[in-house]
Amino acid sequence: MSEESRKKYTEQEKTEVFDSEFMPHVDSMYNFAYRLTFDEDDAKDLVQDTYLKAFRFINSFERGTNAKAWLFRILKNSFINEFRKKSKQPAKVDYNEVESYYNSDDVDANITTDLRVETVQHMIGDEISGALNAIPVDFRTVIILSDLEGFTYEEMAKILDIPIGTVRSRLHRARNMLREKLTSYAKEMGYN
Amino acid sequence: MSEFSEWFEQTFKKCYCEKGNLVDKERFSEIVQLVLDNEADEESMAIFEHKIRTCMQSSGKYQEEKELRECLNEKLAQFKKEIPNDLAQSIRQSINS
Repeated sequence: MSEESRKKYTEQEKTEVFDSEFMPHVDSMYNFAYRLTFDEDDAKDLVQDTYLKAFRFINSFERGTNAKAWLFRILKNSFINEFRKKSKQPAKVDYNEVESYYNSDDVDANITTDLRVETVQHMIGDEISGALNAIPVDFRTVIILSDLEGFTYEEMAKILDIPIGTVRSRLHRARNMLREKLTSYAKEMGYN
Repeated sequence: MSEFSEWFEQTFKKCYCEKGNLVDKERFSEIVQLVLDNEADEESMAIFEHKIRTCMQSSGKYQEEKELRECLNEKLAQFKKEIPNDLAQSIRQSINS
């Protein structure tokens, strides 16, 4: 239903929607923001900015639909359009280069995916989180959305504005990249 | 028929030789990921499950991927940033100002 065809919320309804549908996701939103920015203050700003936008555009949100996906989409757009430009940690990797490299047909032949469960069991959450943080943001994002937040491919496609087929392939590449990082790390630490 | 029915059919075929042996583990791991993400349709799932029951190599690879995924997700979930105490209050203040 479009914003035009739906009745606008009253001030009381706005507060109700905001409190009951948006605020329960603040924890996930903050963690997502932190994993994008790596900075507590920046993550806080990004979440505040997202909620402010969500409130401003609350009439385009239909009550009872997927509020979490709607909020994540706003946060992701804020991060890309505004935040990434002024980020304290500018992207060190050209995303387009990485995406085209990882989408080439023979790339999987070069990726080491012989990571074993026993190796991962030796690692602590911080080490695995560090490996996740070391992969390019667009690949990191799909892992966060899928494996930490439990979004479906369809929801991720809407949040990220990409085709559902790209969600599947990007997620596969991203998981391989994470495994590659963990394999290298395990070798360095002598876990293998 | 879901978004990935055709992709599944094509990719699954490429994983096996004429004798039905698993020959492309990397491609098969893509199939496993689709299954573990609960994105495969019923028909694809039936084909997949039949293979898992009848092919030891496929079954082994599936178990390996499944356990690795569970272990990684469990460890990743442990690393959670505590939200600042004043965040909810700051949000409410910003929308009321």
